[in-house]
Amino acid sequence: MSLAIETANLTRRFGAVTAVAGLNLSVRTGEIFGFLGPNGAGKTTTIRMLCGLLLPSEGTARVAGLDVRRDAEAVKRCVGYMPQRFSLYGDLTAEENLDFFAGVYRLSGQERRRRASETLARVGLADRRRELTEHLSGGLKQRLALACALVHSPSILFLDEPTAGADPPSRQRIWDLLYEAAAEGRTILVTTHYVEEAERCQTIGFMHRGRFIGLGSPEQCKAEMGEALLEVDALPVMQAAAVARRLDGVTGVSIYGHTLRVFAKTTTHLRHHLQEVLVAQGVAVKSIRAVAPTLEDVFMSLTRGAQDTNGTG
Amino acid sequence: MLAVVGHVARKETRQILRDRRSLLLILVMPIVLTFLFGKALETGELRQIPSVILNQDGSPESNVIVTAFSTYDEVQLQGEVATLQEAQDLLAQGKIKAAIVIPRGFMRQIEAGEEAQLQLLLDGTDNNSAPIVEGVARRVIQRYNTERAIKGLWARGVRPDRGRRLIQPVFVHREIRYNPGLQYLSYVMPGVIGLTLQLLTVMLMAVTIPRERERGTLDQLMATPITRTELILGKLLPYFGISLLNVATILFVADRWFNVPVVERLPLLLALCALFVLSSLATGLLISTVSRSQFQAVQIAVFYILPVFMLSGAYAPIEAIPDYIRPISSLFPLMYFSRAVRAVTLRGAGLSLVWKDLVILGGFVLILLYWAVLSFRKRVA
Repeated sequence: MSLAIETANLTRRFGAVTAVAGLNLSVRTGEIFGFLGPNGAGKTTTIRMLCGLLLPSEGTARVAGLDVRRDAEAVKRCVGYMPQRFSLYGDLTAEENLDFFAGVYRLSGQERRRRASETLARVGLADRRRELTEHLSGGLKQRLALACALVHSPSILFLDEPTAGADPPSRQRIWDLLYEAAAEGRTILVTTHYVEEAERCQTIGFMHRGRFIGLGSPEQCKAEMGEALLEVDALPVMQAAAVARRLDGVTGVSIYGHTLRVFAKTTTHLRHHLQEVLVAQGVAVKSIRAVAPTLEDVFMSLTRGAQDTNGTG
Repeated sequence: MLAVVGHVARKETRQILRDRRSLLLILVMPIVLTFLFGKALETGELRQIPSVILNQDGSPESNVIVTAFSTYDEVQLQGEVATLQEAQDLLAQGKIKAAIVIPRGFMRQIEAGEEAQLQLLLDGTDNNSAPIVEGVARRVIQRYNTERAIKGLWARGVRPDRGRRLIQPVFVHREIRYNPGLQYLSYVMPGVIGLTLQLLTVMLMAVTIPRERERGTLDQLMATPITRTELILGKLLPYFGISLLNVATILFVADRWFNVPVVERLPLLLALCALFVLSSLATGLLISTVSRSQFQAVQIAVFYILPVFMLSGAYAPIEAIPDYIRPISSLFPLMYFSRAVRAVTLRGAGLSLVWKDLVILGGFVLILLYWAVLSFRKRVA
């Protein structure tokens, strides 16, 4: 099994703040690796180190077999990077942007023009190629940025929130392109805030305060969630939530429409106990049943767990 | 490497051409500035300094003095005042710069062989006018003294031509080789050309990298394998092209309206301008690489341009600067440029006389460019 990205104890400090704290990451060649976690968890900092834009404070990282410290420029040749903020030239057309970046990646003459127009067509911007980039809509800008990251056929793609703020069809469009790139054997490391996007990844790493607090395939993550889960259908739902939160053994409660999701260390006795207490408080309970966690449940559980650890330790 | 430099240059050119308003400013500003600076300095020679006469004596001899003053262009007599107080008030109000006072008893003292005085009341605020009025007064009195002495000798039987030679045995004969009109404008035009070129090039170049940083495009660019040299040279080239256009228009203005002999010395002047413009662009690039924002870049550029203006001998001779400050002056390319262009346009110097300045300017270009490349960081340490 060959690794496209491999880090050991990767650390980055900014003054007193540790943005990335001893990260150990392995991404297999050709897989789509999802990077999750709240804002400020260290996702962007990690990507910037892996792209050779930022020197690590400690630890090592190998990207495409190259050391990001020693061979940053060689790393840049074989990776494509799409920053979180739109970073192409607004006063150039789509085609000119692509042509420029193809040139900077040292594609020459014929090859450059061919790759630029191919990539534009691939992301569906062929008929908009003469428009100034600043006049394109958000979704189109994201596709153009992806095209720029792809134009030199990199073996690894780093995408920092490629679908942020995009509507569902645009997001679907981008993910189709990511699958296509992965099918060509490219490794993709993508950060996202959307759970349904995380479900699309082969492996997800959940970052919190500069380290992984959860790592594995979506199925693994769900199976390994350290808590049990009850779905409660009750009325009024707000009152039911308040009651559930006060109960011993309950670690968290989330409200979804008219149902509650109640997290607990174990649910063996809790189910009956909860039913009794709810009824005693005048809540109409329709059903209480143990359910399998969704990825979103896993994230809620992991985040809460990490915060508790930080709070006590 | 050259291919990538070309891609960067083409991209920059597209961006420059697309920003029509800035482009217009870039092309028109140097013409306007050269014209305004030149016109402002053209009338820099002081004439018609407002003055009044206080003729307390009112004698035939004092009237001769008053008439003599009125023949000089430098002094503009606004009329006579009656009292010293009146003259002082006008001086205090800034309405006149000088009062010429002929005291009571002026003629009587002369006739009696006593020392007579012409008094000047001068406003020293403007350190240029005071010495000019004083010079005029000295010439008036010297002529008056000479004429009186000749008359006195003639009364004793010495013929006027012989008498004049007795009184003034030596004359000064002068021959001005360069800039025969002694015009300040001719002296200062090379400095004006240099200042205008420098202002534009440094400012334009200084904001280019911070602008990419602010727009976020630098992030994308730094993630590519572009080298620092490719980026710096690619940014330099299009601005060098624009600057050469500016050189052409500025030299045209200087030749057409300010009597700078451009056409006669074109190749040498172009070479000097090209090297100077390159050194200024490189200075701008250096500022660009160390600035975090466009605002900061402009600040640094202003802090560079102002001292250069004062210290480079662009508008006053470098010899007027104290010895211990002059080493600082030698750090500015503008000093060598002004010096060389002055030599070429005023003294008709050829390559054999200015090659050193050309070499020095070339040295500046190489050092500043290399420095700019080194100080550009492709990643955060």
